[in-house]
Amino acid sequence: MQLSINGRMVEAEAEPAMPLLWVLRDVLGLTGTKYGCGVAACGACTVRVDGQPVRSCVTPVSAVAGRKVVTIEGLRTGSAPHPLQAAWIAEQVPQCGYCQSGMLMAAASLLERKPKPTDADIDEAITNLCRCGTYQRVRAAIKRAAGIKA
Amino acid sequence: MRRRTLLLAGTAGASALVVGWMAAPQRSRLGSPRLLTAADGEVALNGWIKIAADGGVVLAMPRSEMGQGVHTALAMLAAEELDVPLAAVLIEQAGSDKIYGNVAYSVLNLPFHPLDVEREDGFGRVKASRWVVGKVAREIGINATGGSSSVADAWPVVRMAAATARASLLGAASLHWRLPVDELTVRQGVISHPSGKSARYAEMARFAAATPAGRVQVKERAAWTLIGRPAPRLDVPAKVDGSAVFGLDVRVPGMKFAAVRLCPVIGGSPGRIDASRALALPGVERLVMLPAYGGSTAGFAVIGRTTWHARQGAAAVDVEWQGRPAGSLDSRSIERALRNAVETQAGFTFHETGDVAEVEGRAKRTVEAWYGAPYLAHASLEPMNCTARVADRRVELWAPTQVPQLCRAAAAMVAGVELEDVTLHVTLLGGGFGRRLEVDYAAQATRVAMDVPGTAVQLSWSREEDTTHDFYRPMQVARLRGTLDDEGQALSLRIQSAGDAISPRWFERVLPAGLRATLSGLQLTAPALPGVSSLSGPLDRPDKTAAEGLFNLPYGIAHQRMDHVATRSGVPVGFWRSVGHSHNAFFAESFIDEMAHAAGADPVAFRRRLLRNAPRYQAVLDLAAAKAGWGSGLPQGRARGIALHESFGSIVAQVAEVSIEQGLPRVHRVVCAIDCGTVVNPQILAQQMEGAVAFALSAALYGRIDVRGGAVQQRNFPDQPLVSLKHSPRVETWIVPSEREPAGVGEPGVPPLAPAVANAVFALTHRRLRQLPLALDTDA
Repeated sequence: MQLSINGRMVEAEAEPAMPLLWVLRDVLGLTGTKYGCGVAACGACTVRVDGQPVRSCVTPVSAVAGRKVVTIEGLRTGSAPHPLQAAWIAEQVPQCGYCQSGMLMAAASLLERKPKPTDADIDEAITNLCRCGTYQRVRAAIKRAAGIKA
Repeated sequence: MRRRTLLLAGTAGASALVVGWMAAPQRSRLGSPRLLTAADGEVALNGWIKIAADGGVVLAMPRSEMGQGVHTALAMLAAEELDVPLAAVLIEQAGSDKIYGNVAYSVLNLPFHPLDVEREDGFGRVKASRWVVGKVAREIGINATGGSSSVADAWPVVRMAAATARASLLGAASLHWRLPVDELTVRQGVISHPSGKSARYAEMARFAAATPAGRVQVKERAAWTLIGRPAPRLDVPAKVDGSAVFGLDVRVPGMKFAAVRLCPVIGGSPGRIDASRALALPGVERLVMLPAYGGSTAGFAVIGRTTWHARQGAAAVDVEWQGRPAGSLDSRSIERALRNAVETQAGFTFHETGDVAEVEGRAKRTVEAWYGAPYLAHASLEPMNCTARVADRRVELWAPTQVPQLCRAAAAMVAGVELEDVTLHVTLLGGGFGRRLEVDYAAQATRVAMDVPGTAVQLSWSREEDTTHDFYRPMQVARLRGTLDDEGQALSLRIQSAGDAISPRWFERVLPAGLRATLSGLQLTAPALPGVSSLSGPLDRPDKTAAEGLFNLPYGIAHQRMDHVATRSGVPVGFWRSVGHSHNAFFAESFIDEMAHAAGADPVAFRRRLLRNAPRYQAVLDLAAAKAGWGSGLPQGRARGIALHESFGSIVAQVAEVSIEQGLPRVHRVVCAIDCGTVVNPQILAQQMEGAVAFALSAALYGRIDVRGGAVQQRNFPDQPLVSLKHSPRVETWIVPSEREPAGVGEPGVPPLAPAVANAVFALTHRRLRQLPLALDTDA
């Protein structure tokens, strides 16, 4: 199956029903996207498909044929970190770090849709779960990347 | 059973040894350079420090990074003493020598009242017991990351190792240049002399390896440039670009993936099994039966081309489970049995002062209440997993684990090889919280890999398996009774609690037989040592880990008694972030609040009076109250609650600001104050307080595991919710300055949260919530 991942066309050996998450991780070796629940509840598997945040654990790979998939490995633009990645470092967001790829991908979609998000926008868009409790720094980093004073 | 108060004969010789161990650097833990593998021009200077060819420093890292920032904290200790930038320190997994064992984990776990520890002058029962346990822990050398002990343990050792390396490097330069060593200075890893001579560490490393360090002292506090200041974590960059390698991210050429399916009934096993339909599916390769390893439940694994194929296969296996005898387990009947145990059994008296019974007989005002907490799952976001390869009687493991040696021992047992034939690579942990102090997943991965020799297999659990086959925080109940005099002063406090013992179960399922026998022998011969009789160990003695946080309250109530009944219900129980403190602080700090209200006193003022002889606690309480604006106005529908609790050597007070939304407490703001001794990195400390609040709030609002017919009912996040970003409070952290030795910060932020929230709910609604998770009717 031909897939567009992070701006490149790749060939993946996968049945159409196979969730995109496992194609990324176990077939293509892109392990930055994580498994957390398998039922679209935690968001650790969030990637962007044509710009929209998508929970890849419940998305059959056939559903993304012909669409542009971006994973955490493709978040940076060229050699520069994405502004969210820089903000994440400045705010020292991660603890264990396991949920952070999904958080960043959800945040990237939010900022494209709403470059100056309100707290309510952030509440609504970031439904990803973090067991370590990085939420307040996630919020601060999104605002920092958006150029909003916290 | 009564508390043993046998005295230890304090001979002069023993005193000297104790003083020596407590005061002197732990030289014996510096280790030999031979413990490290020097590659690419590296030079090892002791068992902890290598100097790299580029001038960087390599630190042997025995502790696991699970989000608590330990890799950064320990690197800061090394960078400080070596005078190199933090970014110049590289981390390398330490080997299994006993110098890397976590001594503080055992020593700090002794069941002493913290105020007794502070009051002891010279060589008394506390120091004597700590010395003996420290000796044993050093000899055994178990490397464990837990008990908020990593920095406390590394504090003397890593700093001395780095200072010793620095002294050898300076000594080498002195000899080489024929200049007095005290005229040399170091900046950013460059040794220089006013004459203009200078050399990078790397240039002197080979000479340094042959230069004795001489008498070495670690830096004075005033000379610190790193310790005590916020520093960015070393692990963050890889955690924002997807390159960080957790257990599930290990990739080995030609590897396979395995899915696990364990009997839904705890302790059950597969009976008749038919895998023909599963094995006919594409990408499904093999079925492997799994015995009940490491205290887990039996089941099977299916190997496939990918995790998805393996899971499809596991789901398609036709199996009849055999659930007896655990099929009768029910958490409702366990709760009744625990209450019955409190009412009918004396238990073990962990603490007694004054004469509670006499005071209760004459007191005019008595407050009494039952409290309870349910079983809880760890729910680390990365489910249990381990990658294994078995070939030529050798095992190689890649595991996110808090106990690498114990995982190796489990693998050796399963594969029938020697411990030395098992290699283990510790990955990053996608959360630990105590679940990864277990070895079940490592044993399972080894067993599965044995069926495909030479091929690496990544065994992983689904979220549902992870939730239903955890080692849960035990259910606990407590009955508390307090008396007050006419002026509203607290006269007595009696606490009786019951719950499953954690430590004996853990020792029996994770320790290799030989070590278990050794520790059991020590435990049999050690009861003469105060504290050791109830030290967590392999023998089924009164379990300190379930009672901690009840017997060591700071309040100066003249008459106190605390009894605990250690039970064994059959549900697998384990260490859950902050362990006994996590529920006991809820019981104790909610009840102190009840006593304050019964006395008609402000909860802060009531506690302050009882802390007259505990100034450290009082300072923490005062700081939290002041920063939270205790007593100042709040918007309509909001109230504050406070709680104070010491755990793992650190005192934390939290003030929660709460409203009620849709029948649940909504926490808007939590102000934390902490005294954890010397702070290594205040930035990481703040992260840990924020994280602990979220972790504890999930438990306070939603967390429960129910067992019916021997099976855990909750399966995934929809029925086991975590606090979301939207509902997470703003957390502020304030530090009480201290020059004491550092204590833990990973766990102590958890215990005060639930009582602070419940106390705020009472202030708001006059309803006292005595059961976790906190539940209000919608009309409340």
